Amino acid sequence: MTAPLVSIRGLTLEARTARGTARILSSIDLDIGRGRILGIVGESGSGKSSLASCLLRLLPANVTRLDGVVDFAGTNLLALDETAMAAWRGTRIAMIFQDPMTALNPLFTIGTHLVDVIRRRTPGLPRRDALTRAEAMLERVAIADPAQRLASYPHELSGGMRQRVMIAMALLAGPELLLADEPTTALDATVEAQIVALLEELRRDIDGSIVFISHHLGLVAQLCDDICVMYGGTVVETGPVAEVLAAPRHPYTRALLACEIDQDDSGRLISIAGEVPDPIVRPPGCVFAPRCDRAEPRCRSEAPALRVVAPDRRSACHFAETLA
Amino acid sequence: MRAETARYLASRLVTSALIILGAMLLLFALSALVPGDPAVTLLGPQASPEFARQFIREMGLDRPLHERLWLFLTNVLTGNLGTDVLSGRPVAGMVLSVIPYTFVLTFGAIGLAVLLGVPLGVFAATHRGSLADNVLAFISVAFIAVPSFVVAILLLLVFSIWLNWLPVLGAGNADDLWDQARRLILPMVALAIGWVGFIARLVRSSMLEVLAEPHIRTMRAYGVSERLVTYKYALKNACIPTIALLGMGIGRLLGGAVLVEIVFARPGLGRLIFDALSVRNFPVVQGAVLVVVVLFVVVNLLVDLSYSAIDPRMRRAGAAK
Amino acid sequence: MKALVKVLRQVCGTLPGALGFAIVVVVLGAAIFAPWVATHDPDRLDVMNRFAAPSAAHWLGTDQLGRDLYSRLVHGASIAMVVALSAIAAALVAGTLLGILAAWMPPRGEAAVLILFDVISSFPSLVLALAIVAVFGPSTFMVVVIAAVTLTPHFGRVARAQVLTLRSAPFLEAERILGAGLPRIVFHHILPNIMGPLIVLASMDIPVVITIEAGLSFLGLGVRPPLASWGVLIQDGYQYLSDSWVPVVVSSAALAVATLGFTLFGEALRDAVDPRIRQER
Repeated sequence: MTAPLVSIRGLTLEARTARGTARILSSIDLDIGRGRILGIVGESGSGKSSLASCLLRLLPANVTRLDGVVDFAGTNLLALDETAMAAWRGTRIAMIFQDPMTALNPLFTIGTHLVDVIRRRTPGLPRRDALTRAEAMLERVAIADPAQRLASYPHELSGGMRQRVMIAMALLAGPELLLADEPTTALDATVEAQIVALLEELRRDIDGSIVFISHHLGLVAQLCDDICVMYGGTVVETGPVAEVLAAPRHPYTRALLACEIDQDDSGRLISIAGEVPDPIVRPPGCVFAPRCDRAEPRCRSEAPALRVVAPDRRSACHFAETLA
Repeated sequence: MRAETARYLASRLVTSALIILGAMLLLFALSALVPGDPAVTLLGPQASPEFARQFIREMGLDRPLHERLWLFLTNVLTGNLGTDVLSGRPVAGMVLSVIPYTFVLTFGAIGLAVLLGVPLGVFAATHRGSLADNVLAFISVAFIAVPSFVVAILLLLVFSIWLNWLPVLGAGNADDLWDQARRLILPMVALAIGWVGFIARLVRSSMLEVLAEPHIRTMRAYGVSERLVTYKYALKNACIPTIALLGMGIGRLLGGAVLVEIVFARPGLGRLIFDALSVRNFPVVQGAVLVVVVLFVVVNLLVDLSYSAIDPRMRRAGAAK
Repeated sequence: MKALVKVLRQVCGTLPGALGFAIVVVVLGAAIFAPWVATHDPDRLDVMNRFAAPSAAHWLGTDQLGRDLYSRLVHGASIAMVVALSAIAAALVAGTLLGILAAWMPPRGEAAVLILFDVISSFPSLVLALAIVAVFGPSTFMVVVIAAVTLTPHFGRVARAQVLTLRSAPFLEAERILGAGLPRIVFHHILPNIMGPLIVLASMDIPVVITIEAGLSFLGLGVRPPLASWGVLIQDGYQYLSDSWVPVVVSSAALAVATLGFTLFGEALRDAVDPRIRQER
């Protein structure tokens, strides 16, 4: 693999909650390859959305600790001051959010949203020209009647249409890194399929890298080149999608794969016994040990490091080699 | 969409009409309740019996109650608010001649309060938890807590009597706009101060709420400047509760205007009612109070309509609350 | 008792709360112990000594009839407190009953009560008060009535909301299945459960009543002279502003400090008792 676009090292995120300090992310190491689509999978609460927020540095006010390095083409994003970071947003990094129902301001038209995003890239562009560009982009994401839609308010659009608008917004920004945080989770199944089809079609048009966050392994298999499996605020396994899914090297990945069909809507895995780990009271050893059917005494005392187990593949399991 | 808007409008109009009708009935009931012989109460014990009899006939006080009610209602609908018993002038004319003063004072105060309160609230919200935020919070409470007529008296004392910067009493020479404007300043400030506090607090809390919403996060994620996010995208959302507050508050504001008008000896609806009250000139009180009620209802109606101008969701949903 | 101490400690934990609590204690103390706190008979005239400057004999000077201003202010605190507490007590009873009834009524009746609340609370109540006073004449009793009517919707809305959240509580369901009548449910279960928020609301309404009383009395439409209501004192001072500025400033300041103190205390109390409705800080 050539040098990655983004390489994350030792990323740790803690936040204050009513019950105490919660460790949301625990020394994450992850590379995002140039021009590749990386799928991040995990249950709700595994930290996958927080990871995306760290890349964009849009974090809630209760964050108490943010450590590590996020190297984006040679720049450590975590070391930038707020003004410098703001310059990255909407130009080199953009994001599509989970819930298109609330991600657009109800008091402004679609056109106004898009014009401000375009002007962000091209300051001083006359509104008329910006609208023309916006219209073309809406057409490209297959929105019927784009001229009319520009004058519509968000509540006049269906969920699928709004997500198309969000995608158009991302394309207008033309980022090197596009973060898509469960872009289809809030949509119903048929609309989800349409949006996935659109993303597949657009894959060729986006020259940057994409991080696709999902709790849906099937989608990741369909769309992505690489996969990163997260559990309890840590990365448990990474590697090329096809290889990882064909022969997982972490018990959690295996469990995920085994119960893909049994998932409910909230993304909780029904067939893995036990609860998602508590981010405030973390187990001393492997985070997955309490739910792992292969756990041994060593797993409960010693946390496994994420290590290379095969070319391009890493796993955080003491017994990765014996899993095959 | 059209039909729903029309239905919503119609229901609002009916409610407004009901409130006005209720106020009319209440005022009529009060006039029927005036204790003692109305002629004696209004004309004083010295009035000659013939004059009192003539007065009673002219005022229709000798007719049965339901006839008087009917007369009152039909008169009001034709714009006849009755006659001033003392001067014989029509009440409608008296009210019309003072309304502009109350209007300028009240709306001037609202304008001033919005002009000061909104930026203060936005500032407090964007500097949440800072010393300035805490100081502003305290000042807002103080502004809200201190009654406007106390503010009025103190302003009068300091700026007119001690410093002699501004003229004291009255609305000023009718032909001299500059004089009128100068005499408007203190009453307007006195009336506005409490509302600066209300608005600043409300804008602060609604701004904090809006700034935490996902759509604000979207704009930030796209690097839209913080200034645009705050003043264009968040402020518009935060304005909706503020407009509701102003609509609800217009009654309080009119009440405050009465006191302020009296402190500064300004002509206006409050002054008119108060002066009529001190000589127990009930028809004038009745007519002027009715006009205040109508004003109040109309302003509330306008506020409701302005929601749909700001919030496109209202245009379809057609529900203001 | 222990709970009360805990709440008061929390109230005084913030600077505005402590300030408000101190003012409330002073005003209440002056109101309750007025005859002992005052240095003079508030109504004793001393015409030779009009507009005396503050001195050892008259701490805040005298008014246009030579009455001791400090003593009159102290008695003004009593009047303000008596009016405030009786108006709030009346509004509390009326509002709570209406609110509970509204929650139990069929939708149409409930809507009617809510519209009534809306109309009263958004109506220019001072203007309406003028019309009422025009008919019945000014008196302290009318002030209490007007203030009570104005405040009733506050208590009514909160009582209704509380009942609505309580109504589906399992213990009430159980009572109802056991055939308990409405009065029993109201007095044994509803009232004890909704008293907390209502008391907080009552404390927040004290400055509102003080303002209404002072405003009406200032206009000569409330408490009548020679009773030393703060509104009357301000009116007296305002009338004789050209003779001396001391009475008007002193009495305005007393009113302003009292309303500010009660407001600060009420808000701190709300924050301490019910963190849910605390404003985002």
